Amino acid sequence: MLQDGGNATNASAAPQMLPDTIAGAVGLQGTLLGDVLGSLVGAALIGTLMLTMTALAGPWAKRKITAAFTDRIAVNRVGPFGLLIIVADAVRLLSKELIVPDGVDRPAWDLAPLVIASSALLGFAVIPMGNGIQLADPEVGLAYVFAVASIASLGLVMAGYASNNKYSLLGGLRAVAQNLAYEIPLVITGASVVIFAGTLQMSEIVAAQTESFAFGLKSWYAFVNPFAFLLFLVANLAEVGRNPFDTPEAPTEIVAGYQTEYSSVYFVLIYLGEFIHIFLGGAIIATLFLGGPTSPFVGVEILPGFLWFVIKIWAVFLFTQWARSALPRVRIDQLIEIGWKGMLVLSFANLVLTAVIVGVIA
Amino acid sequence: MSLEDPTRPELDVGETEEGVDYDALESLLGEYAIGREEHVNAEAFVVRPDEVQDALFLLRDEAGFDHCSCVTAQEYEDRYESIYHLSKYDDPTQEVEVVVPTSKDDPVSQSAEPVYRTADWHEREAYDLVGIEYEDHPDMRRILLPESWHGHPLSLDYDQEQPQVVTYTEHANPLQEDHSAGENSDTMFLNIGPHHPATHGVLHLKTTLDGEQVADVESDIGYLHRCEEQLCQQGTYRHQIMPYPDRWDYISAGILNEWAYARAAEDLADIDVPEYAQVIRTMSAEMCRIASHMLAVSTFALDVYGDFTAIFQYGVRDREVVQNLLEDLTGQRLMFNYLRLGGVAWDLPEPREEFFEKTRDFLDGLPAKLEEYHNLITSNEVFQLRCVDTGILEPEVAKSYGATGPVARGSGIDYDLRRDDPYGYYDQLDWDVVTEDGCDNYSRLLVRMQEVEESAKIIDQCVDLLEDWPEDEREIQSNVPRTLKPDPDTEIYRSVEGAKGELGIYIRSDGTDKPARFKIRSPCFSNLQTLPEMSEGEYIPDLIAALGSLDIVLGEVDR
Repeated sequence: MLQDGGNATNASAAPQMLPDTIAGAVGLQGTLLGDVLGSLVGAALIGTLMLTMTALAGPWAKRKITAAFTDRIAVNRVGPFGLLIIVADAVRLLSKELIVPDGVDRPAWDLAPLVIASSALLGFAVIPMGNGIQLADPEVGLAYVFAVASIASLGLVMAGYASNNKYSLLGGLRAVAQNLAYEIPLVITGASVVIFAGTLQMSEIVAAQTESFAFGLKSWYAFVNPFAFLLFLVANLAEVGRNPFDTPEAPTEIVAGYQTEYSSVYFVLIYLGEFIHIFLGGAIIATLFLGGPTSPFVGVEILPGFLWFVIKIWAVFLFTQWARSALPRVRIDQLIEIGWKGMLVLSFANLVLTAVIVGVIA
Repeated sequence: MSLEDPTRPELDVGETEEGVDYDALESLLGEYAIGREEHVNAEAFVVRPDEVQDALFLLRDEAGFDHCSCVTAQEYEDRYESIYHLSKYDDPTQEVEVVVPTSKDDPVSQSAEPVYRTADWHEREAYDLVGIEYEDHPDMRRILLPESWHGHPLSLDYDQEQPQVVTYTEHANPLQEDHSAGENSDTMFLNIGPHHPATHGVLHLKTTLDGEQVADVESDIGYLHRCEEQLCQQGTYRHQIMPYPDRWDYISAGILNEWAYARAAEDLADIDVPEYAQVIRTMSAEMCRIASHMLAVSTFALDVYGDFTAIFQYGVRDREVVQNLLEDLTGQRLMFNYLRLGGVAWDLPEPREEFFEKTRDFLDGLPAKLEEYHNLITSNEVFQLRCVDTGILEPEVAKSYGATGPVARGSGIDYDLRRDDPYGYYDQLDWDVVTEDGCDNYSRLLVRMQEVEESAKIIDQCVDLLEDWPEDEREIQSNVPRTLKPDPDTEIYRSVEGAKGELGIYIRSDGTDKPARFKIRSPCFSNLQTLPEMSEGEYIPDLIAALGSLDIVLGEVDR
């Protein structure tokens, strides 16, 4: 049944992308103006969508979730369920003084927050969010996502090095070491999915997971290969820097790591980048392992696909918050050890095993 | 030798079944002892300032006095004096003191640092506050006050009106030390604190890093120095001193601290405490210990987990219950001021049954909560990865630094003043001293968590006793003179088992209603000294974890 899921996808018709839909809606389909307009408006829509989710997650949901884990109540005074705290926080954060410490490396220091925030946002361009919401569907979609997500590492190094602060420097160094150690297992585990699906194209990977698997469930790769799913989930925690792998920030050790010297808008941008990164991680997990914007049961499509997609990335967000509330942080040398000696070996074992299974059955 | 009963180890020189034979000690010291004094707690030998090390080596190696709990310095009209309070980890009731007088015009005395490493900080403090200099000391600098301070505040001729003008150039620029190891060095100097998320207050760690590893760490303390000793010297015994102990270890250990002063002053002035009051003291002190240990466990989790996570909130939530009990009893949540010389301030709150019921409810719920902590913390593999075999403190090193409390007991040193030097009602109750042999961060945490259980056992028995106490015998306070004037020139050093370890008070009276010298032996001060031993060569996160496992309160370190 697996090989069917892997090879039968070429037959399905390519769904219409969001920019085309927009261009079509204003009657400019096929023209250059329509392409440009559709792409810009589409990108703006997706960007706004993700920023809205982040705004919800950062000042409000994170507080509420952590409070629930730690036996507290959290924001409940400003607006219904404390939701208006988002507005209050936005005003507060934007009106703070932007402190530029002496001796910071100016262009790099200013660019770092932008790089961190935008790199994660770029990744959403190829994510199929259901109901035809997808900006582009290149044949190397998965490679593209991994590539742009890694640009964030560059931002972390820039922030750490340009801040002229030793805590930032330590944080930057830790961030690079950590990303190196965990991005490889992440990509290798992603490659095992590619072997299953036989394609790097995101929509095809989703399509490959719609077959029937067992107990009425679809052939999500989380069900087909739970081991790879777990590996990916853990590597993703390290990738987004959440407990037990939040060493680059490690508040009790190196104050705030690479972001120690950032205040006001830059602080917001860095935090924004982190949350978008978590959501991007969730989106990748949803696409690769959780069947993208589909329901888990064959023939039961009760909710619109986009809603499924949102539920899945919020589930991953919830998972990171759970880990943050309950798990201790590992030491930097232990983190590197787990990455290079544990995760890397396991991910290669998973890749070889998957290749053998797929090869034999196919 | 083999025929000897193995359960009875050989007695040290001067050790007898009844206690210390000071005549034997005097003959051991020979001509080093040039005089002999009588203090309330023990006898003291006067030693020449240039023979301190020889005398102390003899007492340590031949007579087994392996615990230098405190060094008190003071100035008389005609001389300076350093007093070394010695006792034994095996039996703290065996005490001896070494008095070292130095002349007014040349107050130089030999350092005891080669004998007891704990003397390092204690002698620096003596130099800082009183003005005695110690020869052969590895690092004779001020410790609590800034280097630029003029005069020694506890010396007799100190002018309090003198403005402490510090010129701009005298301010140390911490960044100047950046290249202290040389321009081409591979190490990096890093200031951790005084404001840092993990220093539990205003502690400044001057660390030298080699990559992520700690090459050298030096604690810079004194940011929270509030002249507590001097404040106590300006207060009357009966009422004005008692509020201050609450402010030393302010992490809800107030009653434990108050007891340290109460015990010293009561023994000094020969005041009895009614048994009923002793039971109340024992119960409330153990409540304080639970509150303090709960916070210690929570903040240690905070240091290792890295955020205000579930453990921290659970710990604070459960501590709140015992905090409420203490509030019912004392009327205060932080600065209890509940003990009085000769008893306690007032009886249990009415209705008594309600208080007992609340206390029992708390005790009944405690095992389940501790179980939850063990599930969340101690049995977590990642946590064990972080804490087992990190921050190693060998027992010998711990003793040399005068470490006490859970820090010593986590290194397998079976030392608890509640059992070894009984006071209050402890010797009538059934409880155990907890020790762990791991010598690491994990052991120190385990000791604290198990001590919470032991404290609960003590409270439970106290509640039973109090409930059945006949109504007409509930005497909370003995007769104490309105103005307390202990005999002139009596000296006493007494200690109790505080939340962090041995909390000792030295008082010398001069016949007035105020002490002539009031010295606080803070357990955190001595425990903090062990930090470099535990963290050098380890990673930064281990340094933070080791610091957290020491459970220091800067209010008590700096006093």
